[in-house]
Amino acid sequence: MDRRRMTMSGTRIRFVVGFGLALAFLTVSTGYGQLKVVTTLPDLESIAKFIGGEQVDVYSIATGFQNPHFVDPKPSYILRLARADVFVTVGLDLEIGWVPSLLNSARNAKIQKGGEGYVDASLGVPLLQIPTSASRAQGDIHVYGNPHYWLNPLNGKVIARNILDAFVRTDPDHRSIYESNLKEFNETLDARMKLWAASMLPYKGRKIIAYHNEWPYFEQCFGLQIVDFLEPKPGIPPTPSQLLKIINTMKRDRIKIIVISPYFTTESADLVARSVGGKVITLATSVGANEKIKTYFELFDHNVSQLEEAFR
Amino acid sequence: MTLLRCIGSMLLLIYWFDGTAATAQTDSTAVADSLFSLQLERSLQPEPSSIQQQSAPRSFLSVNPDISAIGDFRSAYTSIGTRPIDMYLNELEIQIASVVDPYARAEFIVSFGRDPESRELGIELEVATLTSLSLPYQLQLTLGKFKPVIGKVNVLHPHYFSFVDFPKVINNYFESEGMFMEGASASWLLPNPYDFYQELTVEVGRAGSEPNAAVAPGEDGQLLYVGHLKNFLDLGPNSTLEFGLSGVHGPNRFGSSTLLAGVDLTFKWKPLRHNVYRSFSWQSEVLYANMRLSDAEVIRTYGGFSFIEYQLERRWFVGARYDYSGFPDDPARKEQAASLLLRFQPTEFQILALQYQYSKRNYDRNMSQVVLRVIFGIGSHAAHQY
Repeated sequence: MDRRRMTMSGTRIRFVVGFGLALAFLTVSTGYGQLKVVTTLPDLESIAKFIGGEQVDVYSIATGFQNPHFVDPKPSYILRLARADVFVTVGLDLEIGWVPSLLNSARNAKIQKGGEGYVDASLGVPLLQIPTSASRAQGDIHVYGNPHYWLNPLNGKVIARNILDAFVRTDPDHRSIYESNLKEFNETLDARMKLWAASMLPYKGRKIIAYHNEWPYFEQCFGLQIVDFLEPKPGIPPTPSQLLKIINTMKRDRIKIIVISPYFTTESADLVARSVGGKVITLATSVGANEKIKTYFELFDHNVSQLEEAFR
Repeated sequence: MTLLRCIGSMLLLIYWFDGTAATAQTDSTAVADSLFSLQLERSLQPEPSSIQQQSAPRSFLSVNPDISAIGDFRSAYTSIGTRPIDMYLNELEIQIASVVDPYARAEFIVSFGRDPESRELGIELEVATLTSLSLPYQLQLTLGKFKPVIGKVNVLHPHYFSFVDFPKVINNYFESEGMFMEGASASWLLPNPYDFYQELTVEVGRAGSEPNAAVAPGEDGQLLYVGHLKNFLDLGPNSTLEFGLSGVHGPNRFGSSTLLAGVDLTFKWKPLRHNVYRSFSWQSEVLYANMRLSDAEVIRTYGGFSFIEYQLERRWFVGARYDYSGFPDDPARKEQAASLLLRFQPTEFQILALQYQYSKRNYDRNMSQVVLRVIFGIGSHAAHQY
């Protein structure tokens, strides 16, 4: 009898220990050692990978060929955010349609706004197109300024610095590695900037048309002049009267280039281009816009070469 | 001074364009304008020691909550009834939400809704919740008045649902806008080492202030229990599958109890590249009810719906829905309906929907209905739900 009781007791202990170990495995099985970083866009992912190196595991929610304004907040992203140490966002309400609901469900205090792992990558970026009045009659406006600031490579340095600060806050032991990587990132960016600037200098001041108002930072950096947009107002699809206006503008000013992003359909742009004998070029708004663009540097390699070829 | 700056900028450019590549471009650097030069200068400046030194405010300095108002106007033709043609403001919803402190956020929704009987607008507090943001072990707790997680549609407010009306099973088993409850809701992301989303929600409280067909607020000590297990899978970059199980147990208006069991299945497809132009979703739910009227009498009924929605263009959607529903307290009554939907969404803040519905009922005459619904919202941008 006693022996049987002892056996049952032993089985029960083994069951409890086994269950405890299984639970412990499940709760800690998400990896150890690396900082878990989630970014909204692949551009931030690319910079975070450069700064973090081997010390970080980075995941981007959006892809490079996806409209960053309209990303579906899938529950599977909540899992990533629940485990994240650092969350990097473009900010300026670019992701307002999907980031708040993800963060509200993430159950992770570290990455909430104000938490040590929350990174608003726009901090310190000199912003363009800050509206003087905020009304949705103007279309899909951004009250804090145009949010597509990563398209000026010089702003990449500010983004990198913001990411480094978060890495140092959450993982101070590897500060020297992160700082060394930041230095290398900035040096690489400077070196590439020379080449991009040299390639674009002959075309400074050239007038172009864009589909959506997402190029002011790129325009400023490389001295282009975007004179109008196919969208009559940000976020409003092209209308016949707007297309007619663009055709007249392009004919009058002898503009031949229409710039479009990978996630917009090209019917309207093609129609206008055919009418004026111009051409439509698809520029990358993010890393991963096509399979050749794997890093933040290659984003500008691609865009500069596309424009160079079009202007020639 | 300007001249000196100009010369400085040009020297800087010449310095930049060193080496072989620079040699070929020396002439072109000379024509750089001052703006471009200043940018290059800025890139060569030492890095700031910390972001605090660089930071500029990125939001208005205000602790006011996000406030929005959503109107729901309708114009309807109904083949039977005393008002075949009607035009009315169905509902005005005021939403107020904000983070309370680092640990929680709060949300309030006040509805000015049209009473179907008196046709007058009445006020109701639909949602008042405090939701935790930072509980350990991937737990989240919500307290207050909310819509319990029974399937996928019940948690929605009507303007978030594609179709003009809620499915018949929601109408017949709860209220026209679904069930509300007051109490506590705890949800837990079930840990697993894979990218497999499983969320278990357990809710305890009392059914909303109005008695629903299947459950009622009940006497003191009689609580409503709701459980839901959500399973979500990414089938690929463009498509997802969600499977859910729901269970409800609570008092009913006959002084006894009702047990409900539900299954929901949702498939969604949206190509990532052209995510604003094309999408497809197929959603189905079935609800089974076991309603005890007395110790000896039990009524078993069920209902469900299935709908598809396809996005034709950036702003145009079409949909179709089939409904079948019993009534939890009357096994003899049954209802079927078929609906067709055309939806135009000029922006995220305005939706026009035209719906035709044919209802076949074994307790009343069959009915045709055409409804035009206009949803319009102002105020803060509401985050989308998936």
